[in-house]
Amino acid sequence: MLSFLNRRTMRRPKMLLWCGLAALLLLSSTAAQAIPAFARQTGSACADCHAGSYGPILTPYGMRFKLNGYTDTDGHGTKIPLAGQLTETHTAPARGPSSTALTEADLYIAGRISDQFGGYAKVVSAYTGRNNTYNTTLSNLDLRFVAKELKLNGRDFTLGVSVNNSPGFDDPVDVLPAATSLGPATGSGPTGTFLGQSGPNNPANRVIGANVYGLYDSNWYGEVGTYTSLPTSTQDRLGYNISGDPGKISDTGYFRFAYMKDMKRQFFSVGVVGLTTKRQLPRTGPSDNLFDLGYDLSYQFIGNRDNIVQLSYVNILEKRKYGSTPVGPTGLTALPRGVLHDETLSVTYTFKQAYSLQVAHLQSNGTRDAVRFGPFGNPDTTANLITLFWTPFGREDSFTSIANLKLSATWFRFTKFNGVTNNIFGVPFGAVQTKPGDLNAFSVSASVAF
Amino acid sequence: MTKLFLGLCTATLVLGWVLASPPARAGDASAGSDVFKTECSECHSIKEGRNKKGPSLFGVVGRKAATISDYEYSDALRSKTDWVWTPEKLHSYLSQPAKQADPGTKMKYDGLSDAKQLDDLISYLSTVH
Repeated sequence: MLSFLNRRTMRRPKMLLWCGLAALLLLSSTAAQAIPAFARQTGSACADCHAGSYGPILTPYGMRFKLNGYTDTDGHGTKIPLAGQLTETHTAPARGPSSTALTEADLYIAGRISDQFGGYAKVVSAYTGRNNTYNTTLSNLDLRFVAKELKLNGRDFTLGVSVNNSPGFDDPVDVLPAATSLGPATGSGPTGTFLGQSGPNNPANRVIGANVYGLYDSNWYGEVGTYTSLPTSTQDRLGYNISGDPGKISDTGYFRFAYMKDMKRQFFSVGVVGLTTKRQLPRTGPSDNLFDLGYDLSYQFIGNRDNIVQLSYVNILEKRKYGSTPVGPTGLTALPRGVLHDETLSVTYTFKQAYSLQVAHLQSNGTRDAVRFGPFGNPDTTANLITLFWTPFGREDSFTSIANLKLSATWFRFTKFNGVTNNIFGVPFGAVQTKPGDLNAFSVSASVAF
Repeated sequence: MTKLFLGLCTATLVLGWVLASPPARAGDASAGSDVFKTECSECHSIKEGRNKKGPSLFGVVGRKAATISDYEYSDALRSKTDWVWTPEKLHSYLSQPAKQADPGTKMKYDGLSDAKQLDDLISYLSTVH
């Protein structure tokens, strides 16, 4: 444990800078998007499930499609369950050279097998940033069995099972970090909550779990399940660098409860989410007890679809009881317990289902620990994401309703990193210092989904 | 006198025909377009030949039920061989839960309780042909 912590805290500032930028790019690119294979399967337009005709934020109709295990259909036989997405991005970081590259090529295997079975898997080939090389990984996975149109106490009841690879990814309201990929890119050390998934060694796509869920009377959602981490050899085969291993997790329990109300012109939800696990990171090290508890609120004004406003707020608290209290290089001893706290607030306005502006405030903070979090022992991060995008297609009255193009401009800005607003890597006086704003980046991208 | 008599007869006949006719629903088709977007558009298209989870509603007013050839209707609706989607029938059908109006239907709809919105919607659907 000590050596691991030391490795992290002694990393060179440049490496950390790249970590921040890599996280930034991940945030803007890996969110699950509208999947044209589903549009072909259902006859629906992209805009029926996603306010901005491209995703990832779901409309109430999109939520029902997800809850129904991706099995809804127009009844016109079996469709080819494949879709693709290509993304070209020009990134201009505040510090460092600009770059333009085909940043991501995705393959979706998505569709229904029967009225009860459906799901999707996303395979991502992402630009590594070096020498025109790409790394291919199995990204999101969500396979479902669902029993629909059941009755419980005379009310409609849906019962399902989801096998997925990221706690919270199967969230029907689609506001949890695993579903939105929206979270603060955190600093050095074991920062970020397990459910927040924005810190290093987070469980996204490196675990596998099964959850049983139910929807009662169209409004009450409940889900319980468990996860286990994939062996590092499997992570490696799936394309992941094992340095990002979330560790060996055991005795993991997950729950999610939400009240969702679809009023056709408006929608709101109130939810809670929780996870408890024992994590060994590294796998041969002592076991840390993690307990995450979060709540979330969401609201959508949908109206006649011309002006859509979507708000979401997620607040996740993580209590940690560490399995060891290592001594740092300066002789200080790590704390036996700690608390981390991730919050995201997002507001999106969409005009005519084609023009969207999203503004998000992301912050992470926690108990100061001089040994675990470097260089100041402070894990606090504050960032903002501002995205403007245009989607010319994906609506019923557009050239095509089952494929789309997305032109977007994104500005990601940091106002606090590693707990400070200046010299974020703590370099000695006289060396080149880095401010949070040096991690900022502006990017323009074009994505096509087909 | 004869002309006056004929005129009165004609007026009476016209008035009688008007009174005997089903009450016209004074809906606002423009407002109905918004109601359609809110209530129906996720599952139904107004484009001819375009079926979603539900069948296309192009030309639905006046159409015999379950007659779009390439849509897979429920057995329940197929059995309603005497149903024609007149404004009155649509009004009755859409004002209550679909499962109540047509037990066995595939359609999942709780019904539209706002009478004005229903009239507006039906007026709008009447224009889609």
